[in-house]
Formats: sequence, structure tokens, C-alpha cells
Amino acid sequence: MPIRTLPALIIGLSLCTTAQAEQPGTITRLASSEAWLTLGHYHPDTLGSGYTSQADDDDFFLSPNGKANPEAELRATIEAITRPASGNDNDHARCEFPARDAWIRSRLSLREPEVTCSDYNDWKAELNTEAVTLVFAASYLNSPSSMFGHTFLRLDPPREDGETNLLLANTISYAADAAEHDSEILFAYRGIFGGYPGITAVQPYYEMIKVYSDIENRDLWEYRLNLTAAEVDQMLAHTWEIQDRNFDYYFFDENCAYRLLALIDVARPGTQLLDEVSTHAIPSDTIRWVVDRGLVEEIHYRPSAATRVSHSLGELSPDERRLAAAIANGYVAVDDDEVQSLAPPAQARVLDATYDYVRHQTQAEEWPRDFSAPLSHDLLVARSRLQDQPSLGSPARPEVRDDQGHDTMRLGINTGSTGERRYSELSLRAAYHDLLDPPAGYRPGAQLQFLRLDARLYHDKQELQLENLVGVEIRSLTPRDGFFKPLSWQVGFGGRRAELENGDRAFTPYVDGGAGGSWRITNRIQALALLTGDLEISKHLSRGYDIAPGADLALLRQDHRLSVMTGLRSKSWVVGEHHREDELYMQGAWHIARDYSVRAQLSRTHHYDRYETSWKLGFHAFF
Amino acid sequence: MKKLIAGAILLGASSMAFAQPGCGVGAMIWKGQSGIAPHVLAATTNATFGNQTFGMTTGTLGCQTNQSVQSMAMYMDSNIDKVARDMSRGSGENLETLAVLLGVDEADRGEFSQLLQDNFAVIFPTSDTTSDQAVDAIVALLEQNQRLSKYVA
Repeated sequence: MPIRTLPALIIGLSLCTTAQAEQPGTITRLASSEAWLTLGHYHPDTLGSGYTSQADDDDFFLSPNGKANPEAELRATIEAITRPASGNDNDHARCEFPARDAWIRSRLSLREPEVTCSDYNDWKAELNTEAVTLVFAASYLNSPSSMFGHTFLRLDPPREDGETNLLLANTISYAADAAEHDSEILFAYRGIFGGYPGITAVQPYYEMIKVYSDIENRDLWEYRLNLTAAEVDQMLAHTWEIQDRNFDYYFFDENCAYRLLALIDVARPGTQLLDEVSTHAIPSDTIRWVVDRGLVEEIHYRPSAATRVSHSLGELSPDERRLAAAIANGYVAVDDDEVQSLAPPAQARVLDATYDYVRHQTQAEEWPRDFSAPLSHDLLVARSRLQDQPSLGSPARPEVRDDQGHDTMRLGINTGSTGERRYSELSLRAAYHDLLDPPAGYRPGAQLQFLRLDARLYHDKQELQLENLVGVEIRSLTPRDGFFKPLSWQVGFGGRRAELENGDRAFTPYVDGGAGGSWRITNRIQALALLTGDLEISKHLSRGYDIAPGADLALLRQDHRLSVMTGLRSKSWVVGEHHREDELYMQGAWHIARDYSVRAQLSRTHHYDRYETSWKLGFHAFF
Repeated sequence: MKKLIAGAILLGASSMAFAQPGCGVGAMIWKGQSGIAPHVLAATTNATFGNQTFGMTTGTLGCQTNQSVQSMAMYMDSNIDKVARDMSRGSGENLETLAVLLGVDEADRGEFSQLLQDNFAVIFPTSDTTSDQAVDAIVALLEQNQRLSKYVA
């Protein structure tokens, strides 16, 4: 670029006196401006000094070299938007690229061919947008893999009269357009390495609520952006430009959240939200960036169906709760005296909570329709006879929003010993949250670790060793109660040090998993019991691999100051030389601040008839 | 304004089959929805399965000429469970949405909600009621009501 810019600048200077809009220097300068690069989705090449657009669609470019040449594209666009109208106006570049047209004309005075963009204007009139809200679908209980969240934009109509209704507002989302018949493996592969086209979809908000809030049980956070009318216009104009254009979808970086950031960057040039994206764009992180840049004017919380059900049940007295459970399970009929004799407010509470619970269970646990539908009908008919009884209030907004939790990358510096050997350890994690990290803003009992590397320096021989390389580690420990019976489960894979019979510790690839239950003991403490299975693969094992069924019993306390987990893990290796491996462990974390924790752990293991005590102490920072 | 809302709601549904009063069957209440996508893949995927490229056709739908009623029928088809819930309680945002789609003035909203709550069992006579039947029943109730009949004229 610089080499090409220099002569262009000289020519530009020499022509200054003529003040022509098409001065080569001006255009070269505009072509490298942030605003133009954003409009064209241009990003600096990793190798070389050029730029390449992330759009994977020839129709997005007016110049044949447009994808790799911002300046050629700018020149072609200027030429196209000044061309006299001919044929259908809607095919004119001014109508197809209204955001480019608006931006270029704000910089250069150009001939304005008369065109009427009826398609674009109709579309805009139907979207009827006064403000834009960034909506974040939070993660849901019992599904730590949803932890990354999801984001989309809502186009809010003017708020001037009673006809304003946000359920009917439209939303813009960007998603992978996966073929229905693709297998899950292909789906994951193409998602990571590319191959799915990404499409921009416009859907009413009530459809999004149905998917995220009712079916997936994710709370929605609505961040109303403080964009001006002109900025909203520019965002819509650019949405029009990209809405049928293909941008290949990648789960980790060029994902749903990423493309929305680009739209905000276009709306308000200079925001440069995309500069924050390095290797991955986690939707909850992108919310932080938007909040940090002062783009948010108002925040609203919309609890999911599951959150509402728990809240409704929680509002009942213990007797009312028992009655609700009895009705829901068919032991007590809706017209039974026990229900009818309740005072109207109590009756309304019980009927509302029972209905919400029955719907939730039908959805989540697949209760058969021939049981749940007649019951639902009875409940609503009975409820409709109770006049002027307000429905149960909404769940309170959580004190800490998801975007106010700790940051998702983690660095840990530890020191400890295994047996007699002292070591120092460096731990780095790409994402996201474990059970002992500061819990505020995260779902209790949920853990998702992604790419964690622990390297140890043993003091005695100055020996550097890779201790752990966690690929993925998911734990989901949701307590069971009278109404909800979720399975607690865990799954993970990676590499770790496995102790061999001769006492050596060999780095071994592993896969493990487990399933069981979890029960609340007090408000903050839960007990869990899981059956587990481990598979290790290594040439150091006598058969090349080994399998261990086992169990894990533990107590977990998660709290904003002090989190503790203690338990007993027992495995029985069965393929090679049969042997037991038992571990009694206690881990604690003292959360000094949102992004800092002190960690300690102590364990006693019994393996190959050897006993060993290990401890570790360290400091964790999130960034 | 009313027209814009109707347009906006149709915009999201042009590729779906939906109920028109007297023209189709509509969704049955409590029919259930498909479950959650596989948990492990839900991570950052957010994929849409199938063709989601919505068109913008707002063309005529036949059968019902009243666009507000058409919009209401569409909304009911998609949200019948939640509309029924709000109706039985006499309040709620889905009931509010019906009022908006029919263009019911704020001054008449109380009466509108009351009428639908009182007649819940008429609108949803059985647990197999379809959205189409419910819409027809609502239109009939509104037509008989002196204050509200103007909204379905």
C-alpha cells in the first residue's frame, strides 16, 4: 500500500488547485480510511501489506478485483453510483449499496442520478426502526456449552404510541446456513474450518423469544444502543447491502457476534469494535466491548420460561407448592375441592405456577400431549374464571449481568509439590469459566474450560514438563428438587500426566465423562454423586490403552467471596494391570476481586499401593 | 402505522405456512415444539438449519380481506400457547400484542382483555382447539360487542 500511495499523493497534490472530486489522491486516501474498509469488510492480510474482504460473494463487489483491492472497489463504486439511471432503478448501485452511497457522498460531491429505490424504501418502511437494541441470549442451566451465548440485533419501532410492541419488532441475526442433512461431525468440522455460508436473517422478535427463551431456556438481556437516527439509517443501509450476501461462517471468530460488531462499526465509524477480536469472538465478551465503549443507553432483562417457572414455584407457600406438584402429576384434579376452596389470590397463584410448570415439563421432559394438553386446558379454563387476579410478578433482574462477570481468558501462577518434588507452574486458559472461578455473572454449577495449558518447572532437576493440556472440559451440576430432575454430567478430553507403576509420570491423551445427580444441601452448598469413565491412550500402558470406571462424590460451595470443592474420586483401571486410583481432594478459591482469585488445593492419593500428598497454591488473573 | 405492523409481521413469515381464518387449519394448541439442539454443539454454533433467507413478500393472502385479522391469525398460529395463557389471566404481553395487531385503542384494551378472559372457554372449547378456530371465535365475539366490533369490521 504505502508504495502505491506515494505517487498517488504527489499527483493528488499537483492537482489540488482544480479541486476535482475525483482527485486520485483523495480517492486513494478515502480507500484506506477506516470507514471504507469497514463498509467493504476489508481486513489487513496476515502476509503482505494488502487488504482482503471477508465477503465471500462476487455480488458484493462492483470491481472484479474488489475482494483484494479496496481502492479499485471504491473507484468502481463511485463510477457506478454516478452512472445515469437506466432500466430498473432498483438495480442501480445507489439502490443496491445505499450505505456506500451515503458515505461516499458525505466525503465527495458527486453527480446524483435520479433513482427511486422502491424496494429498499419499502423494506426500510416495514422495518420502521427508531432505535437498535443488541440482544444477548445468556447461557442456560444444565448446558454449559451454551455459555458462550448468542447475540442478535433488534430493530425497535418508535415508542410514541400504544401501538409500539417490541414482540413484533424485527431482529437481524447472522448465522451459519447448515444443510439439514449434515451430520454433527461434519457440522462441527465445517463450523471450525469454514465451509458454511453465513447468512443475515430478518425475523420477528417473538420468533427469537420462542427459540431462545421458551425452548432453550436462555434469559435475554436487551442492550438498547444510543445510536442517532442517522447512525441507525446507515446501519440499516448496510444491512441491506449484506443481507443476501455470503460471508463464510466460522464458529470461533467470524460468527454471529462478529458480523453484528461490523454493523455497529459501520453505523458509528471510529468505534472499531472489530479491532478487539483476536482469535475468537465470544458473544459475552462482545457485549463487554459494546458496554465499555459507551454505546448502551438502557438495559432490560427478559427472563426465560425456565427462570419464570422457578420463580413462580418459589412464590408459593410450601402447602401451595405441594398442591401444584400434585395437580401437575395428575393426583389432584383442577376442579377438586382442595383447589376450589383456596382464596382467589392463592388459587390464581397455584393455577399460574402449575400451568407454567406443566408447559415447561412438556417441553423439556417431553411429557405426552394426551396427558399435558387436557390438564393445561383445565388449568386455563379454571384460571379464566378468576377475575382481577394479577398474575405472578416477574423474576427480579440478577444483580450481576453476564457481561459483568470475570473476563474469560485466565492466567495462573502456582507453586506446589507432588510428593517430594517441588515445582512452579504456569497455567493459561483461552476460555471460559470453571466451578471455582468467581461465580458472579455465570450459571451456578456450570463449567466450560476450553484450551487450558499447565506447564511445570520442577525445582530439583530444573526440568520443564507439560502437565495438562485440556482440550475441552464441561461440567454441568444442576441440583435436583421436587419439580426438576436434571442429570448432572461432565465430559472432557485432552492430555495429562498419568502415573505409571514404576513411578514415572507419562503424558497421556485421555477422554473422560460422567453422569449422576446433584442435590442442594443449603442455599450455597450442593452435594454431587457421579459415575465416571476414563480412557487413557499411551504406549507406556501395557496394552496401549486403559479404561477406568469410577465414581466422584463431592461437596461444592460457590460464593462471591470463597468457593470450595471437596470430595473423593475413585477409579479402577481394568485393562492393563488391574489397580485402583483413589484421591481425596479439597480445592478452594478466595475471590479478591472480579478478575483476581487466590487458589489452593490439597490432595491425598492412593495409587499402585503408594500414598502421596500434593498441594498447590497460586494466583489467578482473568483478562 | 397499522399497515406497517401487519407488513412487519408478515415479513417474518413469508416462507412459513400459516393459518388464515377459514382458509387453513392452523396450529393446534399445546402441540409442542421441537426440542433443543444437541447441547455440545450449541456452544458457538448458532446455526440455522434449513433455508432461512426470508423474502419480503407481503402480497395478498386471500380468504380474509381484513389485514389486522390476518396478522392476528399469523401471530396466533405462532404463539397460541402463550396467547391462551395470557388470555386466561386477562393480562400479559401476548394479549397486548393481539390488541396491537387488531388496532384496539388503549381506551378499549381493558374491555378487550376482559371479553377474551370471560370467554376463554368459548375461544378454546377443547384441548385440541386450533389457532384458526380460536381466531374465528375471537372475531365472532368482537363482532357481537358494541364497543369492539369496529376493530374487525
